[in-house]
Amino acid sequence: MKIDNTEMMRSRRLMWVGGGTGALALVATLALTGALVTSPASAHKEQHEPEELAVFEQLFMEQVAIGDRLFHGDAELQKEMGISLSNTGMACAMCHPFSRDTNPHEFPKFQQQMSEFATLRDMTNWCIDKPNEGTMIDVDSDAMKALEAYMHWSHKGSVLNAGEH
Amino acid sequence: MSKHDRDRRHDDGGRSGCEHQATRSRAEGRPGIDAPGMSRRIFIHKSLVFAGAAAGLSAANLWLPLINTVDMAHAQDAGGMSSFRFAWVSDTHLYPENVNTRFVEKAKRAVEEINALDPPVDFVLIGGDVAQLGDPVELQLGKAILDEIKVDKRFIPGEHDWYLDMGKTFVDLFGETPWTFDHKGVRFIGLDSVGHAPDYWSATNMTPEERMGHMAGLDNSVTGPWAGLGKAQREWLQTTLADWPKDDPVVIFSHNPLYEYYPPWNFWIRDWREVQEILREYTNVTNFHGHTHQVLYNEIGTLRSVGMLATAWPWPYAPEGVPAMTTPMTRADPGDHFDGVGWDLMTFADKRAEHEYMMWRQRDHIFARRPEDTTVTKNPTITLQSRYADRMWTGRYRGTD
Repeated sequence: MKIDNTEMMRSRRLMWVGGGTGALALVATLALTGALVTSPASAHKEQHEPEELAVFEQLFMEQVAIGDRLFHGDAELQKEMGISLSNTGMACAMCHPFSRDTNPHEFPKFQQQMSEFATLRDMTNWCIDKPNEGTMIDVDSDAMKALEAYMHWSHKGSVLNAGEH
Repeated sequence: MSKHDRDRRHDDGGRSGCEHQATRSRAEGRPGIDAPGMSRRIFIHKSLVFAGAAAGLSAANLWLPLINTVDMAHAQDAGGMSSFRFAWVSDTHLYPENVNTRFVEKAKRAVEEINALDPPVDFVLIGGDVAQLGDPVELQLGKAILDEIKVDKRFIPGEHDWYLDMGKTFVDLFGETPWTFDHKGVRFIGLDSVGHAPDYWSATNMTPEERMGHMAGLDNSVTGPWAGLGKAQREWLQTTLADWPKDDPVVIFSHNPLYEYYPPWNFWIRDWREVQEILREYTNVTNFHGHTHQVLYNEIGTLRSVGMLATAWPWPYAPEGVPAMTTPMTRADPGDHFDGVGWDLMTFADKRAEHEYMMWRQRDHIFARRPEDTTVTKNPTITLQSRYADRMWTGRYRGTD
């Protein structure tokens, strides 16, 4: 398993954003699996231990939880992260319950509203800007990645339908 | 509106009239209805485009009506005295005016257009979710806007109106529900489908704001199956209908659909089976409901159901359970906050009742022509997860009646 110190620090930072007891549990799990860290060259050759898979899952679900809260307009979390996704009282989920009709499995594709070949992150920013009248966020920001994680997780099990309009 | 747009709309109206037609014979499941040719048609009616212009509405306010013709035997129609209209406005979801001016603008526009109708409607039904978070400021704003309606108004509550103070402000401003009245041969009934939720708040000592916050999210899973009439109201409904002739028209207003569409979003009432059992022996029942913010039509047994528009915003269709009899609306443009929304007009005349979706945005096709233009699931393997954040809640629901 390849988790270097930088990645672990990053994981801790993201967990702090998410807060809650899950973060403490995750730190403990990471400490247990630290002994399994190996060189980058063997990153994809090692068989995974159940504890490692649990870490991967927890890291992902931490982001899903953050994305879920942002998607549903959590004002406190937006303030913590220094972002403002809406200035109309609208949240993403008000038009997209369960992230319905975001269709992350279809991107990237041509988006008529933007008249361009767009990624899911481009489309997310368009919604923040237009219907929500919020402030667009960096496409590589933690908030954007969390929103993306939530939308993808919400559609888990759907067939990849690349380019579908 | 340009000449080109006008011409295109008229052309589309005629063409759509041929293409969007669904007919269902009574033999398919409408026991007890003897009227010949029982059918339901959906079409874009070119004449009403001209009727709108004749009514003196400005070009900017013209709409392309979507008509839902519902055959309803009309008891007093033979005498020629029973033709009338009523309007429906709902799901305005008002925030305080300094938070969101769009919703205020749209609610006011509905009121202005209804007031401009000539001849006027007999009454207006306000179908719930006047407010977004049940805040007295929001409900007072709604009252101030809706007080401008010049004809009689009737109100039923939505969940957004209720769960901050458990309906106190709503009832103070808009009155109690359920209620009933008879009008020109039709028995009208207004139901409360929102105020009987199983207690999801006490076990975790939620504040009123937290209780309301969970309720305000359509896709929340903390509140559980909050929509329902409850035993006492079902008994009231049965008693209220007891003296009404079985074949005479009954119109029921409710915030939620009276059938099971998509329970995770409470697009239902949990006691729909019991309610439909009460209604089963009445052959001419139509339910108009809000909450779903989309074009919907369904028939179950003798019960017809029509989903009405919101003024605030349209919901996407649920991932499953869209009634087969629904011709879906075209996906709204999220960049145009007047798209996919509006109000509704019902006309009782010539032994029929016509329902019109008064959508605000003129467009080539209100009904979708292709699956790609709707939010109805076109990918048969699309799946959706319920909210992850809600899974952190560890309370338990109490029993339900």
